[in-house]
Amino acid sequence: MRRSASPFLLQKLLRYSLALLAIIAINFFLPRLMPGDPIANILGENYLYASAEHIQKLRIELGLDLPLHQQFCHYLVDLLHGQWGMSYQYTQPIYDIIIYRMQWTLVLMIPSVLIGAAAGLVLGSVSGWNRGKRLDSVMTAILLLLYSTPGYWLAMLAVLIFAFYLDVLPLYGMLSSESTGLEKIGDLLVHMVLPVTILSLYKASGSYLIMRSSVIQVLGDGYILTARAKGLDDAAILFKHVLRNALMPLITVFALDFGSMVSGALLVEIVFSWNGMGTLIYDAILARDYPLLDGCLLAISICVLVANLFADIVYSIFDPRLRN
Amino acid sequence: MSVCARHKVSEAVLAGIRRGAPSWPVLIGLLLLAIFLILAIFAPLISPYDPWEPGKPFLPPSGTHPFGTNDIGQDIFSELVYGTRISLFVGFFAAFVSVAVGTLVGLFSGYLRGAADEVLMGATDIVLIIPALPLMIILAAHTSPSIWNIIIVIGALWWTSTARVVRSRVLQLREMPFVESARGLGAGDAYIVFRHILPNTLQVILAKFILAVAGAMLTEASLSFLGLGDPLQKSWGMMLNYAFSRGGFINGYWWWYLPPGICISLAVLSFVLIGFGLEEREQKAMMPSQL
Repeated sequence: MRRSASPFLLQKLLRYSLALLAIIAINFFLPRLMPGDPIANILGENYLYASAEHIQKLRIELGLDLPLHQQFCHYLVDLLHGQWGMSYQYTQPIYDIIIYRMQWTLVLMIPSVLIGAAAGLVLGSVSGWNRGKRLDSVMTAILLLLYSTPGYWLAMLAVLIFAFYLDVLPLYGMLSSESTGLEKIGDLLVHMVLPVTILSLYKASGSYLIMRSSVIQVLGDGYILTARAKGLDDAAILFKHVLRNALMPLITVFALDFGSMVSGALLVEIVFSWNGMGTLIYDAILARDYPLLDGCLLAISICVLVANLFADIVYSIFDPRLRN
Repeated sequence: MSVCARHKVSEAVLAGIRRGAPSWPVLIGLLLLAIFLILAIFAPLISPYDPWEPGKPFLPPSGTHPFGTNDIGQDIFSELVYGTRISLFVGFFAAFVSVAVGTLVGLFSGYLRGAADEVLMGATDIVLIIPALPLMIILAAHTSPSIWNIIIVIGALWWTSTARVVRSRVLQLREMPFVESARGLGAGDAYIVFRHILPNTLQVILAKFILAVAGAMLTEASLSFLGLGDPLQKSWGMMLNYAFSRGGFINGYWWWYLPPGICISLAVLSFVLIGFGLEEREQKAMMPSQL
């Protein structure tokens, strides 16, 4: 046991489990403790259209007549069995809808995270290394402006330029025609160009700033001075000493950032009518489909927690101090 | 205490100025902020129309309406000017709530240490990993849309980084000789925390506050864009929401949705530049003779 899982990872695992429990508790208690009939808070807008018998049936089905702690136990058991309730808007099980939509969000996010992180890493190291010079000032100014700009607005601007005026890329959606095979993949890729570019820029601006300050901090450490005194050239110092140590904080922030990346993706998706979690949440807000919104929060949280755990494992491999 | 706090803030600012002239990012940030503050304060004098007054819809920019009109004919330039008020208001208050919560958590955690520290920092870690925007969406959707609810929702989730920074500063401070001597003179914990430790963490808190304003303004815009904003208040995020959901975006009426985005971007940038400049200076102060 001691060899396979370090105390560091066990502690992290405990925190993540508590975070998950907190999310589930919020989903459970929020509609039940808000003023008004809990069933109205759970159903949202659909409460107005449901018949009296249907509401009565649901009340019993959801166990709203039981004491709160019993309800919570039932709720937990249902969640574990993949029974996340029904969406009234789509008349489909919430779990199935989310699994389908999540894939499309990941299709956008994975390439964006990789491209954006790589770009931010390279630019950030160059900037940090050339700290205070013109190159650094110009790049920092541009990336700070990007960092301050909402991604979804940038997406609207990109659509205006590339789809309205230049007419070179599709306006919205994921596929424009009933195509098959390779053609379909090509069609999808064309639709991905704008959203992936915007999300990569969003990701790059964040990791650029972290990488830059990380490199600057490492440059101030004593061992860099030692390396210089030993007569090592710039390249050797940069690759052997600076980058290896500057990358460490990036791994943690990479995972923490995953949450903000999801948020960015949600908003950008809406602009492009990309059929992922973002548009799902947007439509659920408009329809006041609360059970679906709760399910989305839970699903996104699980993804973010898993990403964090993954980063912790990577971190504990790279940092020998954490192994025991 | 507030007199003492104000004194310490001005002392911190003065110390910053003495350490060298403000760098260009800070100057540009302050200039941008001054422009937005003027717009917010003198909104009734600057805006040519009442932003709520309906008129001829979908007018493109012209001499009478510099940025055209929206779907019910309200003047977009006037909406922008009044929007400055709401966006800055939400930014400041949400940042205030989050920094206040974070400071308290950090102070107690760092000063008490032991079990209290474990619990508080455990809670901080948990809040930190929960994806903020989806949680805010749930909270905002279940509560009625109002500007105060948005402030509370943002404040309740944005305090974690302040708590961590304040805690590590407090851990340093509590071992310092002047705290020791205060304790030796018989000072109580509350006295030491509020008279000696808190005033010395103000510089860190100020930097966090400035960055929190930027974050809060972006978050307010995102929530409003999603349709969870206060329909009775015109913020830049609400303008983007209306432009997106009521045909401005689909029809390419750029004058409706480009200006609010530019305003958000520049206002956030002004705070980011000031906060970034302050952090840069601290880094420089830590390694004076490097390279």
